[in-house]
Amino acid sequence: MSNTETKTEPSDSLITTDVETESNDRTAPSHRTAVAARDLNVYYGDEQAIDDVSIEIPEKRVTALIGPSGCGKSTFLRCINRMNDMIEVCRVEGDVEFGGKNVYDADVDPVALRRKIGMVFQKPNPFPKSIRDNVAYGLKIQGFDGDVDARVEESLKSAALWDEVKDQLDSSGLDLSGGQQQRLCIARAIAPDPEVILMDEPTSALDPVAASKIEDLIDDLAEEYTVIIVTHNMQQAARISDRTAVFLTGGRLVEYDDTTKIFEDPEEQRVEDYITGKFG
Amino acid sequence: MATDTDASRVEGFGEVSRVRGIAFEYLSLGASVLGIFALAVLLIYVTIDAFDLAGANPLWLLTYFLTLVVPFLGFCLYSARDPTLTRRAVAVGGGGLVAVAAVFTAIETFVGQIPRLNWQLTYLFVVVVPLTGYLVYMGARGRPGSVGFGLIGRLIGGAAIGMAFSVLFLVFDERLWFLVYTLGVVPAALVYGYGHTRDVSSALTAALPTAILGTLLAVFLRPIIDTYPTTVFIYLWTLAIPIAAAGALVVDARSSRPKAVLAGGVPLGLAAVVGLFGRAIGLGVGGPNALLVIAVAGVPVAVYLDRVFDVGEGVIGLTLPVLLIAGALAGAAVVETFGIPTPSPWVSETFLTEAPSRNATEAGLYPAIVGSVIIIAMVAVLSFVLGVATSVFLEEYTADTGIVGALTRLLQINIANLAAVPSVVYGLLGLGLFANLLGFGFGTAVTVSLTLSLLILPITIISAQEAIRSVPDDLRRGSDAMGATRWQTTKNVVLPEAFPGILTGTILALGRAIGETAPLIMVGAATTVFSPPSSLFSKFSAMPMQIYAWANFPQAEFRYGVVAAGVITLLIILVGMNGTAILLRNRAERGD
Repeated sequence: MSNTETKTEPSDSLITTDVETESNDRTAPSHRTAVAARDLNVYYGDEQAIDDVSIEIPEKRVTALIGPSGCGKSTFLRCINRMNDMIEVCRVEGDVEFGGKNVYDADVDPVALRRKIGMVFQKPNPFPKSIRDNVAYGLKIQGFDGDVDARVEESLKSAALWDEVKDQLDSSGLDLSGGQQQRLCIARAIAPDPEVILMDEPTSALDPVAASKIEDLIDDLAEEYTVIIVTHNMQQAARISDRTAVFLTGGRLVEYDDTTKIFEDPEEQRVEDYITGKFG
Repeated sequence: MATDTDASRVEGFGEVSRVRGIAFEYLSLGASVLGIFALAVLLIYVTIDAFDLAGANPLWLLTYFLTLVVPFLGFCLYSARDPTLTRRAVAVGGGGLVAVAAVFTAIETFVGQIPRLNWQLTYLFVVVVPLTGYLVYMGARGRPGSVGFGLIGRLIGGAAIGMAFSVLFLVFDERLWFLVYTLGVVPAALVYGYGHTRDVSSALTAALPTAILGTLLAVFLRPIIDTYPTTVFIYLWTLAIPIAAAGALVVDARSSRPKAVLAGGVPLGLAAVVGLFGRAIGLGVGGPNALLVIAVAGVPVAVYLDRVFDVGEGVIGLTLPVLLIAGALAGAAVVETFGIPTPSPWVSETFLTEAPSRNATEAGLYPAIVGSVIIIAMVAVLSFVLGVATSVFLEEYTADTGIVGALTRLLQINIANLAAVPSVVYGLLGLGLFANLLGFGFGTAVTVSLTLSLLILPITIISAQEAIRSVPDDLRRGSDAMGATRWQTTKNVVLPEAFPGILTGTILALGRAIGETAPLIMVGAATTVFSPPSSLFSKFSAMPMQIYAWANFPQAEFRYGVVAAGVITLLIILVGMNGTAILLRNRAERGD
């Protein structure tokens, strides 16, 4: 609750100054791991989509997953909240740890897991409901007992959408522009206050102006949430992320380090070739 | 088109032959026009027979044309406010008159007599009816027109739904309904309302068990309690008051409390006064059915009036019903004064309210209408519930692969095949299963409704599946990623989005069910009954059965007049039912 309140616009209220004193210094290495994968292998039928990936993703940082098409970065993202369960031919081996527990353990309910991990998709997919109902959707299905309207307002403010839609909360979410719809989807994802937000190429269907708004927003979100973002846009990864993981063909994690290191002085020649646009 | 001319102008690119495309275009156009034309000729003749227009005096036609049709067209043109449209309408109306008269006379002179048609009637059907249809469409785009048609729609639609309710209470026990409502519906609504306003989710979940418990209690108490309020009070308490309350809530949310009280209270008061004292104070109408009709039609009208006055545009459109009634009265007065002979239509009050008879002029369709309405209501509920449940299961729950997937595909193929099984076979199934094995009786409402539900179930399932399949997967994934269970995704995202499509399929399927005769004959429905059914297990008939029976009568009056009247009544009820459902669907699509 309090964390959604605290990270509204910087100029907003007294609470913000509180936050600034204990602000999340993102240049410092995070001491805690939010999500970790160990020896993860994923197969679609006979085809291997992820090949022996191990990675530790830090808490309250933006981690970008980059790589050419078909390299398994979206598959990896969907392993974290077990959205791959929906694909019948998909088979997962290895561990994905979240909150100190392997999410593929038999006693983990994927539905309960997804309530702790928000997700934003490539194409904005607001429900054909009012803006208010869209944001309140997660609260509704989780049987939230508090003040729904306040939560809706907080979430829309956090998604930098409140000022644009505060007078039309009852109109359909589909009436918004593409960029607004995507911010609405982000508001929807953060309304139930998850711990991690997964973003699967959230700006690739948007124009540059809308995309840059989303990028600013992601920067703000990292104050309170662990953000894991898949992107095709190298500049975007360099601009917004703290850590970058480079996947290359065959679902292998080739290099994983601080973003500045990856973009300025990568260990692997193939990573440098990819980043400088020699292939991919 | 632009490419056509470009291609011919630009040299050096050669030409692409479009002959086949153009031939195909005109062939398809010709096929559709032929079909529509054949149907139109049939409907025109049926209408002429049903309303005895062939024998109508031209002066009679002229009188009503001038008092009723012309003012109505004027209203539409006024609403459209388009001088070009007005000029064109006048040109078509006048030019059409000359053209039709000339062509018709020429055909009569050179080719031969056209049976049961004269040029006035031809003008009516060829020019006036299409012109009126077009002008209604154009007029409805203007504010006064949309207000006027909206008002008329609510008046007629409300009255029709009210009458349908009163028909249903012929076979459903209103005292049981009274107990169910009092013990189940009201407490559940109160619990739900409490949970909703106070945001107590446990109260929301408790609403459904409360309703079920109350219903069971009601069923248990029905034989024990033996004093009940009269039907008027039951209707007032269980139907009129909640409808008025719902109307008041709508107005309250939109404008103010006093207006809400007015919008709910005035129709409720009127309904109560007419229902309770109508006959006593000499109104000529009264009793429970009058109460029901006034409440069901009056509340939507009151809510609508509030909105129209609130918007403040096109208020003049509210005079449309007055215009029409005044036109009809004026026409009647003129006909009376000048002693113009009036035709005696077969579709008359007697026809709609009396029992069948050996005598053509006294024949009525009332018991069959009641039978059809009851069947349709039951078939609609049964096939909708079963169809939606099956299609949701097939689309959202079963797997696509493995043994389950193979079974699903087998089921799928069989459902598609069932849709093509002739209706006589379903009749046989109904006869064997429901009438004989389960003992629901031959030709009872239950047997017929279950048989017809089975008959249209495959169509309902297939169209509901299509509708569910067309919901974008993005939405499902979005909901799943929020941590929604399969059921929550289905209930909150998939079904609301698929609902208009599901409704479309159900409407089409119901249209088929209302007109079926063969399965009714097979399960032993009566061709003719003389009183409306009093319970779900009494013998009864349906409109197509009765029409079929009349068509076999030797007298020409039956075969031409009464059958035509029956067909028209059936069509009007069908179109009315579909129209209501389509309006509801469009509202659902707009999401309000």
